[in-house]
Amino acid sequence: MYKYIARRLLQFIPMLFIVTIVVFLLAYLAPGDAISGEPLDPNITPEMLEERREALGLNDPVYVQYANWLSRAVVGDFGQSYHYVGRSVSELISSRILNTIYLSTFALFVTIVVALPIGIYAARKPYSLVDYGASTFAFLGLATPNFFAALLGIYVFSFGLGWFPSQGSVSSVGLEGIALFTDKIRHLILPGLTLGLASTAIYMRYMRTEMLEVMGSDFIRTAKAKGLGPRPVLYKHTLRNALIPIITLLGFEFGTLLSGAVITEQVFNYPGIGTLFLTAIQNRDYNVIMAINLILAVAILVGNLLADIFYAVVDPRIRYD
Amino acid sequence: MKNKSLLFMLIALLSVGLFLAACSSGDDSEPNDDAGSDDEEATSGDPVEGGDIVAAMYSAPDHQFNPIFNTSSYDSNILDLTHESLIKQDENLGFIPSLAKDWEFNEDNSELTYFLNEGVKWHDGEEFTADDVVFTFTALADPGYVAAGGIRTNFVDTLVGYDDYVNEKTDEFTGVEKIDDYTVKFIFEVPNVKALADTSFNIIPEHVFADVNMADMPSHSASIDGGEVIGTGPFQLSQYQEGEQYVLTRHDDYWQGKPNLDSVTWRVIDEAVMAGMLENEEIHLLNRPGGVPAADVPSIEQMSHITMIEAQDLGYQYMAFKFNHGPNNSLTDPTTWIPNEKVQDAELRQAILYALKRQDYVTGLLHGSGEVLTAPFPSASWANNTEAIGEFDYSPDKAEEILDAAGYEDVDGDGFRENPDGEKFTLNLDYPTGNEVREKVAPIIKENLEAVGISVNLNSPRDASAHFELIEENDTDIDLYLAGWSLASTDPDPSAIFYSTAGLNYPRYTDERFDALLDEAVDPELAFDQDYRKDKYTEWGQYFTEVLPIIPLFSDNINYAYNNKLQGITFKSHQILDDAHKWTWSE
Repeated sequence: MYKYIARRLLQFIPMLFIVTIVVFLLAYLAPGDAISGEPLDPNITPEMLEERREALGLNDPVYVQYANWLSRAVVGDFGQSYHYVGRSVSELISSRILNTIYLSTFALFVTIVVALPIGIYAARKPYSLVDYGASTFAFLGLATPNFFAALLGIYVFSFGLGWFPSQGSVSSVGLEGIALFTDKIRHLILPGLTLGLASTAIYMRYMRTEMLEVMGSDFIRTAKAKGLGPRPVLYKHTLRNALIPIITLLGFEFGTLLSGAVITEQVFNYPGIGTLFLTAIQNRDYNVIMAINLILAVAILVGNLLADIFYAVVDPRIRYD
Repeated sequence: MKNKSLLFMLIALLSVGLFLAACSSGDDSEPNDDAGSDDEEATSGDPVEGGDIVAAMYSAPDHQFNPIFNTSSYDSNILDLTHESLIKQDENLGFIPSLAKDWEFNEDNSELTYFLNEGVKWHDGEEFTADDVVFTFTALADPGYVAAGGIRTNFVDTLVGYDDYVNEKTDEFTGVEKIDDYTVKFIFEVPNVKALADTSFNIIPEHVFADVNMADMPSHSASIDGGEVIGTGPFQLSQYQEGEQYVLTRHDDYWQGKPNLDSVTWRVIDEAVMAGMLENEEIHLLNRPGGVPAADVPSIEQMSHITMIEAQDLGYQYMAFKFNHGPNNSLTDPTTWIPNEKVQDAELRQAILYALKRQDYVTGLLHGSGEVLTAPFPSASWANNTEAIGEFDYSPDKAEEILDAAGYEDVDGDGFRENPDGEKFTLNLDYPTGNEVREKVAPIIKENLEAVGISVNLNSPRDASAHFELIEENDTDIDLYLAGWSLASTDPDPSAIFYSTAGLNYPRYTDERFDALLDEAVDPELAFDQDYRKDKYTEWGQYFTEVLPIIPLFSDNINYAYNNKLQGITFKSHQILDDAHKWTWSE
């Protein structure tokens, strides 16, 4: 098992190397660079911008730029942002990544806690009132655009009832201790629920379908025939088998955890990686794009590794030697 | 964004309906209660001591609070309250004293001497002196300034000795000179009619930055951190939650008197929830960039506790003709340009002007919150003289008449005009994303032009980086493109955009008379007289409407909004944050 994990971790290195080359090339090939963009102020002349470009090394050949980036990145220095003058990439990311982790973990938590039990229940009692209710909710959740759900939530629970704040991740600067913690939680609920809504709907459907499929298979009939009670059949045989594909999906979900959620972040002004990534792409802020991509690649690889490990936990027949 | 607001309003309406339905089934005994409380809210109470207000903007600052490196107008919202320059502008854009109490030019206008106010204190208690002024302008001229991330060299490149200093031929910058602690002199290479504009730059403290390397200055804590950013303004940036809130607290020793308010907090909010937050008083002031979106104006006008003020923005949107093509390695060298035959006819450009239903763009897309421009000076600018230049109303008949007379006729009967040589004639129009109204205008322009028989090939929009990289180039097949400018309030000189050899002359339009008029308007012998300059810009504007290198489309208005309990704001078309020490809050 440990050998397997070590081998998988070693495989990360060449994969990440390839990812950085591809992303760097794509960013470089996109028209425009960190200095271009709409020139609004006529006092800033193209000659001045060319001087900036030269200073940033944007006129160097692409392999020189990549080599410069790589030689710094391997020692953990992601460089300076091209767009945010005076800010380092690690500063920009570290000021936002915690928000993103809070938000996506909360959303994932909501998804798992709500979707899986309801999915299981709906499969146990298909075509019941709960099943229909869950299906209706699932389709509504899937059909509702994220920003619509967000605005609805803000209007009802923030402006209407005044239960939760509508914007930001804290209500005022300088809170500490318990007050800060509860304040953060209050700010997390609306964006977290909004973000969790769509994936809850998806996972609920998946869980129900997987459960129903496994219930119809031969080994379940055998288990029932040998006199096993309904509970062990459900939790020992059906659920474990039904969870395998769900874990695969959750493995990918773990990767996207860190990519942020642009629309939710924007509507709630909950500054996270999503909006940073979007503006970095719009501004061709290469250093920021590269760093975030690297983080995402690592997260997706780790997510898949975790999923593989969990297979073995859920299904004892799966072994890694 | 606007779709979002619309949806939001729909939801709001729906929910209000539900609430009302729920209420009406309940207690009906006090039907007039609502109206009564509304009236009370509308009248503001007495000013109170202190007060904390929340101002809102739609996007996070870039978080660079050193004026010499700041480029974002969101950061300016903060810097306008924390930093000051030697002079500022009044509502007519004339210059008035600020840190300097007076100024004078020498005989030949080559030297400008400022007399500074005494007793001005920095946020950290140090005294503001001429050394700070010299330091600020010397920093802008520093050889390492551009490499460190600065782009404001236009404030120093007209001063004596700039070239030598920036190229490290000398250690001393001679362009700005301290006479004594409260007198400072700017010496210009040639007399500069824009001298006042070029010296109105936020001053930074020498005692904080003196020992900081230029390369380290933008990331220094005094450029970034709350409590460390030092200015002379009425408020100091004390704390922040990055991307969300920026708390500015009162500067007790402010030289124009202790500010009334305790604090001004800038909050970053989403445009879609702005109306709701104004209504329930979570935010009290809405500033540029953006202001109240035109679509939200009616709903905010309904709020009795909110006042809205409309002011013209100094920028404008335009459609340009690409006059010359040519190689990309000599963009600003007119000798290498190759004329784009399709747009050389002045008659064609005139006809296009008449064919565009520009007033509809303003009434329809801007909800009336804007203005059609004739010459490229918005009416807020003193250089504008619409009366003398005239207006050019939509007239498709006139457009067709001009086109017929110029020989653009539909020879093959396909509904589109051929060029005077009888060949197929199609104009390529390119436009960028990023400005929602401009994006909507592009297809309407195509429609307007096709209505008078001009065939237009509308390319799909590109993102701003890609579009502007392309229109800067000469080696393209672009004939028409859309873009915009946001102009500084300090001086209306359009040379940087229209002079033949200017880098930003993206249309690559070249015209001796055009250049001569622009030169005359800044002629050091004559142009220190503003009336003379205004006449010259009128003359240039009249000629502009004959030759039409670009067609100005419209200029947006900006709608500021504030809670009635916030009083004492000085409204100027270019700025509402001046004199913030006079703001008061009443309960």
